[in-house]
Amino acid sequence: MVEDKENTASAGQEPVSKKAAKKQAKLAKKAEHKADTAAALAANEAAGDSAADHAAARYGLSEMIQSKDKRSEREFVTVSDLNAHVGKGLVWVRGRVHTTRAKGKQCFLILRQQSSTVQCILAVGDIISKQMVKFAGNIPKESIIDIQAKAVAVPTKIESCTEQLLELSVEQIFVISQAKAQLPLQIEDASRPENADDAEGLNIRVNQDTRLDNRVLDLRTPANQAIFRLEAGVCRLFRDILTEKGFTEIHTPKIISAASEGGANVFTVSYFKDSAYLAQSPQLYKQMAIAADFDKVYTVGAVFRAEDSNTHRHLTEFVGLDLEMAFKYHYHEVLHTIGNTFTAIFKGLRDKYSREIEAVGQQYKVEPFKFLEPPLILQFAEGVAMLREAGIETGDEEDLSTPNEKLLGRLVKAKYDTDFYILDKFPLAIRPFYTMPDPNNPMYSNSYDMFMRGEEILSGAQRIHDPEYLIERAKHHGIDITKIAAYIESFRYGCPPHAGGGIGMERVVMLYLGLDNIRKTSMFPRDPKRLTP
Amino acid sequence: MYELKTLLPQFDIKLPTCMYELRNVSLSAGSAPCPQAREIQCNGAAKSERNNSKSATCALDLDILGQQIQHLLKNEDTAAILQRQEKVLKQLEELKAQLGLMRENLGVKVCEKSVQQTTASNNGGLKEIPLHDVVVNGHPNFIPYALLALKNAWRDLFTIDVKTFTHSTMADIGPAAREFEANLAKIAVNEALPKIKVTLIWKNCEHTEMISSPTMYVPIYGEVNIIRYLGRVGPPEYRYENSPLCNEIDAVLDICYQLLRCSTHKSQVAMVRLLDKRLNDQQYFGGNQMSVADIGVYSSLIRMPAIKDKDLTPALLAWRKRAKLITQI
Repeated sequence: MVEDKENTASAGQEPVSKKAAKKQAKLAKKAEHKADTAAALAANEAAGDSAADHAAARYGLSEMIQSKDKRSEREFVTVSDLNAHVGKGLVWVRGRVHTTRAKGKQCFLILRQQSSTVQCILAVGDIISKQMVKFAGNIPKESIIDIQAKAVAVPTKIESCTEQLLELSVEQIFVISQAKAQLPLQIEDASRPENADDAEGLNIRVNQDTRLDNRVLDLRTPANQAIFRLEAGVCRLFRDILTEKGFTEIHTPKIISAASEGGANVFTVSYFKDSAYLAQSPQLYKQMAIAADFDKVYTVGAVFRAEDSNTHRHLTEFVGLDLEMAFKYHYHEVLHTIGNTFTAIFKGLRDKYSREIEAVGQQYKVEPFKFLEPPLILQFAEGVAMLREAGIETGDEEDLSTPNEKLLGRLVKAKYDTDFYILDKFPLAIRPFYTMPDPNNPMYSNSYDMFMRGEEILSGAQRIHDPEYLIERAKHHGIDITKIAAYIESFRYGCPPHAGGGIGMERVVMLYLGLDNIRKTSMFPRDPKRLTP
Repeated sequence: MYELKTLLPQFDIKLPTCMYELRNVSLSAGSAPCPQAREIQCNGAAKSERNNSKSATCALDLDILGQQIQHLLKNEDTAAILQRQEKVLKQLEELKAQLGLMRENLGVKVCEKSVQQTTASNNGGLKEIPLHDVVVNGHPNFIPYALLALKNAWRDLFTIDVKTFTHSTMADIGPAAREFEANLAKIAVNEALPKIKVTLIWKNCEHTEMISSPTMYVPIYGEVNIIRYLGRVGPPEYRYENSPLCNEIDAVLDICYQLLRCSTHKSQVAMVRLLDKRLNDQQYFGGNQMSVADIGVYSSLIRMPAIKDKDLTPALLAWRKRAKLITQI
């Protein structure tokens, strides 16, 4: 304390020289220390060298694997399957060094394989030499190693590992790929649970940008492993469910000649001598597929938005899951299909991805996602009535502002206990020109939004499929007809009535898991400030 | 009547001149103020002031008013007073129209169904205030049969429009709940009748609970209490609050609540005995009319499969047959 005070006091007077002096002193000390340790090491090594290493063939740095040997005699077991090998013979396991700690004649090493961890132990004995223990203790974290070991049951649970009932007694250990000794972030820090109330616990965090800059390391945390496996699940379920419903997957071009919607927020790219745009929605192409008699189509692909909005839920490139469907007489046929698709995705995630959801929940404390089956459908007017009841002033033809949207989500949650609901019949005035107006009330339209945890995830509508009426509506909105001539033209050769919508995969995963930032659910996110990695 | 003395001593109140005088609202609401009327008012005021200063006892202006009228009559201003009366009547008419318009607007804004409800209000249901659509959370193991019983019993009086959902906490609702759903769906919604929208959510919850407004989260627990709530908003035939049997019906419903909480067969039979005592050779609980009490007992007995026919008394069995005709479960 006293010293500190003195330092600060003197630092105030002549900061530069004092600091420099301190620095020098520190450096000198460091050098001294280094020399000491080096000497000790040399002495140790000399001692080690002099002692015969009876385990020399059982450890070491493996030569770079260039597919020289097949080594098909080595039987590898995944960490999660180890419990079937307890008390049996030797097995091979490949994994990463999560942590390693040599202490005298023993070395404890935690081996990690994706989200599973297991404790390994090396103790000096007949098989293992002192040098081998030392070697194991010095393997840098995150290196990939092959070990041959026996699975042994342990009397007390190992709390720090996912395999709590067994440990591996190592007999051979080889480093396959060595990691740098200095890591830009520690996996333990990156995977530490986020509970703000826990003042006692360690509070070391890795901030979002460090994570994203070193995404390869960051993605190794159990939560991230789970997030992206679940994201794959969302895509798979979307495909499977729609295929079962008779949909066809289509692929739409991402380089387009004219801005499909509006035109303000598209990326321009050079295209030989001309310029082109990156597609901000596959909508026109979905509709063209409908006009071409594909009846029900969906597409999974990148969507680009040149919006300079740095929020928790906007990306400039994301994966769009879009679907479009022809219907017979009423767009509710489509509305129910989309709603049921969502319910089926949620059910699939709940039933098949419970382990992943749990793993995410261990790091990010969130409420499990709740939904109703069949999905709850409210009319826009009913939503407005609920908001008014809660004391919010909002007009009948006014769009929901973000706070109102959130509040409505909370109200619906309080009343129906569901995180997913559909709002039907939006006011015509706030929807794009191609939206079909409601036949009974000109104020409303045949359009709908879907919400997860109070945030809009899908916006869709019955589209006008009659070219003349489309022109009329476009004129009403003051849109230059010449610019959308191609769009109108595609309906000239007969087109069935159709409706559809699209969702952003990252946003759905974020909201399903209740995460606070869309960058957590995009493997390599793109936003106005990030183009790498 | 007594004449009250003024409590305050008489002061000479000097009106400040720095402020505007407000126009008399009741007189000038319609068109430009009629000078005649204004004059009368002024006269009256002046007179009353004078009067006040004289007697200094009268707080109420009845005397003055009388004098004013006399004065008017004396002045043979009957034409003016007639004119004024007509004007007041006209203003009242306008006010009425205005209020009607407001009510209509409000009704439409708050709930789309209110118009329909007002037209059918003589049939039952609340008149002006639109009913909240309510949410009932129920566990498939404790099916609220009362909803179906009420729906059937009220089919010609009142519509309970039940929509069913399954909450994500329930993986499977089981055959009994599915059958219940199908039975609910069988009864067609009669748009002409007043109605309440009920959202029934199968959920992994401990109690059957009802939520009417999300802003004031005041859940109502227990099936019998939901019956009580529906009994209040339902058709007048089933509203029991003003009936002399009110206490009796409440007592029977309380027994139902206890019955549902009984875990041993012995205690259940004891509750059945209590019910039998209450029934006491009447046609229905509390008299000759079906009431919400019967709905409660009937629904509770369905939920108690352990209670067999042999546990019921002949009177209860006969009652059950009668009730079945109405509840149709």
